Amino acid sequence: MAICQFFLQGRCRFGDRCWNEHPGARGAGGGRQQPQQQSSGNNRRGWNTTSQRYSSVIQPSSFSKSTPWGGSRDQEKPSFDSFDSGASTNRKEGFGLSENPFASLSPDEQKDEKKLLEGIVKDMEVWESSGQWMFSVYSPVKKKPNISGFTDISPEELRLEYHNFLTSNNLQSYLNSVQHLINQWRNRVNELKSLNISTKVALKCLWKIYTHLSPKIYGPDCSKFIILLSDVKDGVNQAAPAFGFGSSQAATFVSPGFPVNNSSSDNAQNFSFKTNSGFATASSGSPAGFGSSPAFGAAASTSSAVSTSAPAFGFGKPEVTSAASFSFKSPAASSFGSPGFSGLPTSLATGSIRAPVTPAFGSGSSVAGFGSPGSHSHTAFSKPSSDTFGNSSISTSLLASSSIFATDNVLFTPRDKLTVEELEQFQSKKFTLGK
Amino acid sequence: MSLFGTTSGFGTSGTSMFGSATTDNHNPMKDIEVTSSPDDSIGCLSFSPPTLPGNFLIAGSWANDVRCWEVQDSGQTIPKAQQMHTGPVLDVCWSDDGSKVFTASCDKTAKMWDLSSNQAIQIAQHDAPVKTIHWIKAPNYSCVMTGSWDKTLKFWDTRSSNPMMVLQLPERCYCADVIYPMAVVATAERGLIVYQLENQPSEFRRIESPLKHQHRCVAIFKDKQNKPTGFALGSIEGRVAIHYINPPNPAKDNFTFKCHRSNGTNTSAPQDIYAVNGIAFHPVHGTLATVGSDGRFSFWDKDARTKLKTSEQLDQPISACCFNHNGNIFAYASSYDWSKGHEFYNPQKKNYIFLRNAAEELKPRNKK
Repeated sequence: MAICQFFLQGRCRFGDRCWNEHPGARGAGGGRQQPQQQSSGNNRRGWNTTSQRYSSVIQPSSFSKSTPWGGSRDQEKPSFDSFDSGASTNRKEGFGLSENPFASLSPDEQKDEKKLLEGIVKDMEVWESSGQWMFSVYSPVKKKPNISGFTDISPEELRLEYHNFLTSNNLQSYLNSVQHLINQWRNRVNELKSLNISTKVALKCLWKIYTHLSPKIYGPDCSKFIILLSDVKDGVNQAAPAFGFGSSQAATFVSPGFPVNNSSSDNAQNFSFKTNSGFATASSGSPAGFGSSPAFGAAASTSSAVSTSAPAFGFGKPEVTSAASFSFKSPAASSFGSPGFSGLPTSLATGSIRAPVTPAFGSGSSVAGFGSPGSHSHTAFSKPSSDTFGNSSISTSLLASSSIFATDNVLFTPRDKLTVEELEQFQSKKFTLGK
Repeated sequence: MSLFGTTSGFGTSGTSMFGSATTDNHNPMKDIEVTSSPDDSIGCLSFSPPTLPGNFLIAGSWANDVRCWEVQDSGQTIPKAQQMHTGPVLDVCWSDDGSKVFTASCDKTAKMWDLSSNQAIQIAQHDAPVKTIHWIKAPNYSCVMTGSWDKTLKFWDTRSSNPMMVLQLPERCYCADVIYPMAVVATAERGLIVYQLENQPSEFRRIESPLKHQHRCVAIFKDKQNKPTGFALGSIEGRVAIHYINPPNPAKDNFTFKCHRSNGTNTSAPQDIYAVNGIAFHPVHGTLATVGSDGRFSFWDKDARTKLKTSEQLDQPISACCFNHNGNIFAYASSYDWSKGHEFYNPQKKNYIFLRNAAEELKPRNKK
């Protein structure tokens, strides 16, 4: 790796995340960093700018202050997610980190995290003492994804189980399952309350990952989404924002068009553009001409998402938001993606609810079920959908894009052909494939 | 129309005859008790639309039945009819002309009950219990929307056994509300989706949940021009979030408030936190009512951000609530909602539906 010139000057903005080599920073340098957590912001002036840079990623709307009645204020804190899907022990073992994640945080970030962790501990204590419903998911901060390890069961579902087991004379297994769920919940709460070192490390690392990605990407299914990634990626012990794609995986699609870019993030945007061409090259064989971003968005909308849920769900979530976070920067992309799409910043969405954009894709049968149960549905809705086109202000671009989509499939990779890491790379701010 | 088998047809108005001893707390608010109340927990309540003269109340219960009463202006409640499902009834709604009642049940079906003929036919089928059912009346179509634990939202023309449309949900549907042209669905895993219903239902926006715990109930509210503009979302954590769809200032306009908790925040003892089981908006005043597992109901003014009233505590959780079409009657059901698991389930305990005069208490607080 190249030696980082900025680090040599003592002002590398990326610190441990930097792709260039920091001589003496690893290993021996770890000792230098650890005792200086508080002062790390001082001798690395660049860190404050880094944290500001990252915080600008976070959409303002997701940190809106709320004024709850009763006078207390909820502090909006950055949040995080964990890969753990229940048994947390395996996650900790994956953490043979040689570097100390604390060292890479600015004092502000550390304070935020501290508050966050304290908030979690407090929430857990309240949850235990208040007698509230146990089988609920939980997120430490509003509008952020859930922490894994909690199952969401509504009282009605539990009650139905009770009735079913009662009628089959098998109440004991119901009682056993409930007891098991309670134990699981209690264990998880205790884990989060006690926050031992490895839990803390895991959570902080993941918080860093999380806050650097657009929060809009994550819908309610985000924890599953991340778990999916971690299953592929062999655990959490990859470096934080990079998701540490193994070279073996990268090899499948690292086409010659892939500059292995180690320079600063300013190139990331152009870089990801090239990357997409690279993807298209690798998978479909046709060269550029990929630049038609509406087409790409259109493709995204019609193919299934990475997650196992059905098309319309994926439809609403990562594709569109990644279109926004993509750095294609072509105006068509933003206007295309905007009205009616979920997850996009509200500034892009048209004001009223009356923006019937998605029906345009409904006719492309992206929404599961719509259009599929025979001609019946067509007769029911075919007329309205043509009205939709007529009414929508961006109807022309939609019509254009759907026709592009129809004919130019080969220009881009449908979302279901993207591997998990490709998807993730699309969505991360920095492209780290082939590092 | 058949009468219920258990008690006489004419209801007793005024306070309950049972348990008039001072220790009995089943009706501390001294509200009108509906006669022939269901034998098991009441999961849903719905009043008839304004197109029907008079007030008719429908209640679905865990005894697999749906019951209909006529509520007279004097407060008398007259049981009118009953239909059965093969599983507990989770949601009920009326058609816009008041001639049909739609019922959703754990038996994975939804039925349409024609009140004039007292016949009920199945109109919907899911792979899992149907949790929500709503009637959508659009200028160019009408249909029934059912949300189910099979993670789908289906739209049904009642004449066909195939759905007009199927939308996938990210997770099991927990609650929904419809005021044309807007629909809100809250799912498990804190999912929240808004749909627009013009021309055909389509997903409008996915919203990151303003609450940190499981979603329990949702209700849409309207603006001064009578257009749906936002919704209130309740969770199991004694909190309601007020969320506007397109507010001028999201940070200021959207907020959450705590409710259905015991003790003040000042005491050092840990608070008891109860789930919000239902939210209903007053059709005229725009103020809202919440009912909780703590056995209380509260009235709130969301624009003035104040609480208007909290009731005394009933001895059972309040599991459902609704207003009639002109907002004069507030109905709430007192029955066990499983919030403390099976140990606290007493099949012998009587379940009640109470009616309260809501014309005065829900007037908005005057802003200074």
